Amino acid sequence: MHNSENMENSDQIIEVQRKRIAELEREITTLKEALMAAEEANKAKSRFLSNMSHDIRTPMNAIMGMTSIGLSHIDEKARVHDCLGKIQTAATHLMSLVNDVLDMSRIDSDRLTLNEEPFSLADLIHDISVIVRPQAAQKKQTLKIEIGRIEEEDLIGDPLHLRQILVNIIGNAVKYTQEAGEIEVWFAQRYAEGDSDRVWLDFYCKDNGMGMSPEFLQKIFVPFERVHSEATSKIEGTGLGMSIVKNLVERMEGQILVESEEGAGSCFTVNLPMIMAPQETTALHLPEGASVLIAEKRKERAGQMARYLREVGLVSVHQEAGAQAVTWLTQAQYEGHMPCAMLVGEELSDMQVLHLASHVRQLAGKEFPILLVSEADWVQLEYRATRAGINGFVPCPLFKSRLLGTLSKLLGESGVDDDQAQRELDYSAYRILLVEDIELNQEIAVELLSVTGVQVEVADDGAQAVEKFENSPEGYYDLIFMDIHMPVMDGYEATRRIRGMDRPDAMTVWIVAMTADAFVEDVRQAKESGMNEHISKPVEPSRLQEILYRQFSG
Amino acid sequence: MQPYQEEYIANLREIAALAARKKTEGYSLTGYQEALVKNRMLIVQKVERNMELLREGLFPLLDHLLEAGEEELGQLQEFAGRLFQVGEELDVGLFCQIHQALLNCARLKKDQNGMIRELYWLGIGRNNRCSKLIGLEYPVIENYIFEMRLCFTEAGAYLKYFDEIEDSETRGYILRARANTALGQYASASEKIARVRQTLQILQDHYYQDKEPGLPWERYIFMAHRQMASSISYSRENVMTAEDVESVMESVYIVYQAHMQEAAERGEHPPIHSAFNYCAISYYCGLDTFDGLLTKTEHLMDTTEITDFSSENMYGMISLPAFYLQYLKQFPERIPGRMSYIENLYRRILDYVDVFPDAPENEMLFLYLRQLANNYIETADSIPYGAFLLKLLMRFAPDIYVQSYIVAKAAAAFCEMIVAEEPGFFDDIEEISRIEDLQEKKHEVGNFAMACGLLHDAGKINFINLYAQTGRQWFEEEYEMTRLHTIVGESCLRECASTRRYAAAALGHHSWYDGSHGYPDAYERLACRERQMVDVVSLVDWLENVTDAQCLFTGVRMTFDAAVKTAVSLEGRRFSPLLTARLRDGQIVAQLERAFAEGRKEACRQLYEEDFIFDHPAK
Repeated sequence: MHNSENMENSDQIIEVQRKRIAELEREITTLKEALMAAEEANKAKSRFLSNMSHDIRTPMNAIMGMTSIGLSHIDEKARVHDCLGKIQTAATHLMSLVNDVLDMSRIDSDRLTLNEEPFSLADLIHDISVIVRPQAAQKKQTLKIEIGRIEEEDLIGDPLHLRQILVNIIGNAVKYTQEAGEIEVWFAQRYAEGDSDRVWLDFYCKDNGMGMSPEFLQKIFVPFERVHSEATSKIEGTGLGMSIVKNLVERMEGQILVESEEGAGSCFTVNLPMIMAPQETTALHLPEGASVLIAEKRKERAGQMARYLREVGLVSVHQEAGAQAVTWLTQAQYEGHMPCAMLVGEELSDMQVLHLASHVRQLAGKEFPILLVSEADWVQLEYRATRAGINGFVPCPLFKSRLLGTLSKLLGESGVDDDQAQRELDYSAYRILLVEDIELNQEIAVELLSVTGVQVEVADDGAQAVEKFENSPEGYYDLIFMDIHMPVMDGYEATRRIRGMDRPDAMTVWIVAMTADAFVEDVRQAKESGMNEHISKPVEPSRLQEILYRQFSG
Repeated sequence: MQPYQEEYIANLREIAALAARKKTEGYSLTGYQEALVKNRMLIVQKVERNMELLREGLFPLLDHLLEAGEEELGQLQEFAGRLFQVGEELDVGLFCQIHQALLNCARLKKDQNGMIRELYWLGIGRNNRCSKLIGLEYPVIENYIFEMRLCFTEAGAYLKYFDEIEDSETRGYILRARANTALGQYASASEKIARVRQTLQILQDHYYQDKEPGLPWERYIFMAHRQMASSISYSRENVMTAEDVESVMESVYIVYQAHMQEAAERGEHPPIHSAFNYCAISYYCGLDTFDGLLTKTEHLMDTTEITDFSSENMYGMISLPAFYLQYLKQFPERIPGRMSYIENLYRRILDYVDVFPDAPENEMLFLYLRQLANNYIETADSIPYGAFLLKLLMRFAPDIYVQSYIVAKAAAAFCEMIVAEEPGFFDDIEEISRIEDLQEKKHEVGNFAMACGLLHDAGKINFINLYAQTGRQWFEEEYEMTRLHTIVGESCLRECASTRRYAAAALGHHSWYDGSHGYPDAYERLACRERQMVDVVSLVDWLENVTDAQCLFTGVRMTFDAAVKTAVSLEGRRFSPLLTARLRDGQIVAQLERAFAEGRKEACRQLYEEDFIFDHPAK
């Protein structure tokens, strides 16, 4: 009994010991894991501190140094002012470092939440532009911020974090692009397939900066990773920015893509789904059919303005030079078809835009709306611009809502008669005879003319034109566009024959020569043959529309 | 004209005569000084009277111009015409104001002929303003050019309606305005030449000639050829295309032939101007060598007479040397062989300027002198450039010379006091920091301050009419324009090695210490090594201005004590606190005031004795 009792006791003891050993082993494993985690955490902390210490110390050194210089020149206000400015710059940078670290920490600990609130894409892009332009200007870089088709300006999303994504990417492009380099930023929208509530915001930022190696490209979104080279050693940063961007884009269910070539530049592409906010319809007071003069050297920008104007039924006339704009306005005033407003752009081919504005203000009177469409910071420009006679400003990148809203407001103020303009535009009641032998030219001209609603008939040469006119009832054609060099019968002869017909409208129908021959004697020859005016080929759409407007609405 | 208009014009002539250099014959030094003071008082009286006349006569009329009758408008136009006509520039600022008002009136009345006429005259007035900016970079002056050109552009745009506009005079204005769109600098030579070419095409077109045969077409065409011929200056920049050279060559030939014929009829030599253009275009077409051109130019300059004050002789005496020097600057290897010729040239010019009859309204003379000052080449024995500039100031704007001398004297005295207290004060300037001996340092700083003071307003040479001969307070746009004297001065002084050191004082003396106000933007105080000296000149110049010089034009006048107190109150904003702190010391202020008084006396003595040129540190 005693032995068996002993046996039982020893088994129990062994069992207890085994359990204890297993328990101890588990504890050891746990402790080992804890130790490893602690060591890893320690390493991460060291790596973080090592990465951050230089970046924090740099602006701190500037703050300390400039404070010291300022104190030693305390009587020299300008010097102290200069030091304080530099201290402010360094402190702002330091603040951005701290913010990056806090953001990363929130993302890591899953404490980051995205908001869903309505915002204006136009406002957001304008704000971004205000932030990044001065940085690019400091490095004398060309920063182009352009927009493609954007139909939905009112969206729902997290504007704060969206701005963070965009500012980080563009800011990096500025930072890692050499002085006088080029950065191109583009925004556009497309509707999401199968989801009528959403649009995709497509954005790219392309630079011709230093670019990245394929090895670095693989690690670009890893925290604390930065390009290390002689060129980047003086560029401040934590290496957290791209990691934050990637996290934010993913949380917004978007995609980010990077293409880069060392020494050639980089391109970041971001696509983000956004919810469309219900459109707020603001009534625009725009006199449909009225003309607007665009004075801008940049063809793309002028084209964009013209497109927005066309979409609401306004007719644009484009001039690249200030002298041309003044000449056109003088003649428009003489002929009694002044435009309802003038949009002056960023630059002209012969003078500064404010000088043109100043002269036009005198020429056209105090009520005439002159809008400045510019990338410049209005706050900096306002005093000079308003003194020059500008009475409206539309910031770039150019949004349709901004342009038309400002124009509408100014036209409302200047009291343009909406109804009158409406009455003036009814081109569908008019008929044009287009005389042109080259088929491609015919197509282009018909296309250009058709958008105005006017009825267009075509003749392939002068003889056909004469025949068509002869066989038409009186007053059938309101206007003839006549090519000069054509087979069978040229434009001069055709005009002479039309003018020579014995019918009342033969002398009154307005005939416009369309030719590349633009010398003074060509213009005269056209007039001598009986044509009323002359336009140069290739024909500018705005010039055609101007003629239609003058003939049918004037 | 109205009586007040007649009186205003008479006053302008008297003011111009009073502001010109006084003859010293028959005066003792004291008598001369008293005469200067009396003249000054008379000028003040005349200016005040003129202001009254404008306030009581002209301005009310301009305010109610729309209600003015034909007779009143006609008188106003006649008055404007007398203010600025060929060879006589009495008051271009007022000329522009009147034509601007008439233009506004015509616009409101929708008087098309009036608009075209007034645009033309306003453009003419503005073109005169542009001519004062010779020597400045295009971006600095383009604003003035655009303002002028847009007037002509608008008036010229009516060419399209030549048929419909029936008034012959208006048709003439349209053609002339169209031609004048080529006036002034263009961004490129070809652009300007193409513009004149188009003008010629229009003027030679029988379509227009037949419509209005009464217009002086031959004269218009000849003037356009002259305009084209004057484009020859662009060829020096080697920027003309073959087509441009051909156009210029043709015009030069036509102008030369016409002048030859006229001269032959009168039994005279052909005019120097077109003879030079002919020589120059021959060189550009490869018909002559560069040395040949230089020799022929020298020959033309040698034909001038020191007693001949005709415009042709004046051109040959002053403007042609400017072209000659510009050529030499392009080929500096040709300078050593021509040094003595250049030295003699300068002496002849100064002698000529010295005996030139007092004709302060002769703007052409100033224009030529500006051309010359912008192309000056200094040689070892030539008159130093700084001295040359001072001679011009003394000759044509003695008041500005006196003011500059006072500033120089006071700045030198102030600097010596500062160095005695704080020897390292100006050590940002390398040449000063190297000097260890205190006396030598004081002397050197004093000399430097003297030269900076004397030359800080050298840019006013371009605006002599405004500073020395304006018979009223400035209009806002004139005030704006005078600000350019800082940039003009800097650009002038940078031209030659001997004056380069003083350029910062010319540029920065109207800039505020804290950068918040003042002008020009081109001056960056913290980036300027000579900033302490610029601060000194800036403070002393301000004290001088508010106590005397500018009061006529700006209407501000203070006593010396009040000016010092105001300067101290602007400490750290307008003026350097390191300097205003010293103005709290009564002894320093007293010494400074003495320096102002002594400076005035000495400047007057120099005007009396005309002995300044070779004694100044600015040489």
